[in-house]
Amino acid sequence: MEKRESLWEAYLRRGLSRRSFIKGCVALTSLMGLSTDMVSKVVEAAEKKPLPVVIWMHGHECTGCDEAFIRSASPLASDLVLSSIALEYDHLLSAACGEPFEHHLEETVKKYWGNYILAVEGAVSTTDNGVYCMSGGKPFVDTFQRVAKGAMAIVAYGTCAVSGGIQGAKPNPTGSSGVGHYIGTKPIVNVPGCPPIPEVMTGVVMHVALFGKLPPLDSENRPKQFFGNRIHDTCYRRPFFDAGMFADRYDDAGAKAGWCLYRLGCRGPETYASCGNLRWYQGMSYPIQSGAACIGCANNNFWDSGASFSERLPKYGPLGDVDTIGAGLAIASTAGVALHGAMSVMQKQKREAEEAESEGGAHK
Amino acid sequence: MEHENMKVQKRREYYLFSPWLRIFHWVMVDSIIVLFVTGILIGKPLEIMALEPTQTSLLMNWVRDIHFLAAYAFCAAFILRVYGFVTNKGDRLFPRFWKGRFYADTIDVALHYMLLKRFHRSYLRNPLARMSYAGLYVLVAIEVLTGFAMYYMTEPNGIGGTLFGWVNVWLGGEMMTHLVHHYTAWAIVLFTSGHLYMVTRAEFMEGESEVSSMFSGSKFLVHYPQDASEVDPSAEKS
Repeated sequence: MEKRESLWEAYLRRGLSRRSFIKGCVALTSLMGLSTDMVSKVVEAAEKKPLPVVIWMHGHECTGCDEAFIRSASPLASDLVLSSIALEYDHLLSAACGEPFEHHLEETVKKYWGNYILAVEGAVSTTDNGVYCMSGGKPFVDTFQRVAKGAMAIVAYGTCAVSGGIQGAKPNPTGSSGVGHYIGTKPIVNVPGCPPIPEVMTGVVMHVALFGKLPPLDSENRPKQFFGNRIHDTCYRRPFFDAGMFADRYDDAGAKAGWCLYRLGCRGPETYASCGNLRWYQGMSYPIQSGAACIGCANNNFWDSGASFSERLPKYGPLGDVDTIGAGLAIASTAGVALHGAMSVMQKQKREAEEAESEGGAHK
Repeated sequence: MEHENMKVQKRREYYLFSPWLRIFHWVMVDSIIVLFVTGILIGKPLEIMALEPTQTSLLMNWVRDIHFLAAYAFCAAFILRVYGFVTNKGDRLFPRFWKGRFYADTIDVALHYMLLKRFHRSYLRNPLARMSYAGLYVLVAIEVLTGFAMYYMTEPNGIGGTLFGWVNVWLGGEMMTHLVHHYTAWAIVLFTSGHLYMVTRAEFMEGESEVSSMFSGSKFLVHYPQDASEVDPSAEKS
């Protein structure tokens, strides 16, 4: 393998100062969710580690994750793509196309076998041999599995890659599912979200790039530093929840005053993501801040969670939700036992009357 | 002197329920009532009108704290239940699936409850009641697991998060944990209406201290119970 340059060498080549390199490392450290005493390790890694080779594939998806990614501000997505990683193949960002481009993928896979990071967006479609998602003339599922075999690690970006995406909603005609089932035993980082927060996307790939290993993961293989808290527990509207001040409709006074959206079906209490603390686009806003209830887009199957996005509980047509059904059943069971009780009393009286009669008969 | 409302009858007293089980039972009753009411209020909270949260009494926070306190009280009382189970035979209420007689007894009681039989044989703890208690324990276990899974995930890396976090993964997401917790609560309400009725019915049909045994620990039976051997080893042969 040829010698690949490190981040420091890339800075030198571009004539940037040591000072700006250190500043970049400090920014990277906080970006990756690490504590400040890790700065020296980040600097060390950035000086020595060759830039990681990244292959970025797109499957069954809308490319919205890339739309988010290119809006990453710290670091700028362009800085990351052009100088922090060696991005060899990317459907969306590559200037090349056609046969030579696909040929380059094969070359890269061969050349860096076992050493590249495979970033993947989008689900794999499996129905009818995967013909519903073709890439470069081949079913995506085949190409993906082949490339995944040689990857050092796989980074699944977006809820599609993690758990199938909206095209995987019932009845799932294309047989879409998350990529996790098609990578064998390769390590995987799941970065769910529809799309994920741009800085989370860059932060994860930088962590793998600099330290050569995956960030600490939770039980669903999500990086803990970005998916360690519920949105509800980090939400700036939480005081309104604790006080019991809720918006009931999107046009009422509570909604205008910025009260809690819990009653409007907000999925913040069920969703793990950095929306509440990192927010979007340099901390500008996030869905709840802009007045819309969280729909839990970082959750598996958020599209089929049972309840509509504006309700807390699933509704069963005219029967209503579980509270109405439960209350109805409780009333019905009370009536049932009352009836059974009345019949039991009648039965008992009959039995006692018969017993008295037979006893009376014996006495006579 | 004999009055028509008096009668002399020979009954055997069976001491069944240890104080630990009885304390647990009543703590469970209280905590389930509190948990259910506060739980419904958490699912469909009351609206507080104020200009700022600081001008309120933080009602939702109170409701949640009461819910958590009741949950802890319930779990703490369960330790007493386990102690009673270990030290006292009468506390062991698990349905005796491994005994052949259990099935015949179940049919006997079921036929009576369907009003097809005038009476059922005498039992210290009848087999259908035992099964319903086993069912209740399953429901309560679901509530405890899902409850702590939501509660402790404020700190996913803590001890609680490690002990209960898998529930959320296993159910396929925390939204499902919320729903299971909520639906199971209603199932417990349905158990309660059945349970209240059955013990009251046993009291007025048989008059053998079904209700008061949960205060005194003893039942007073006219007939010799089918399952006497469970508390009295000398009855094994008879």
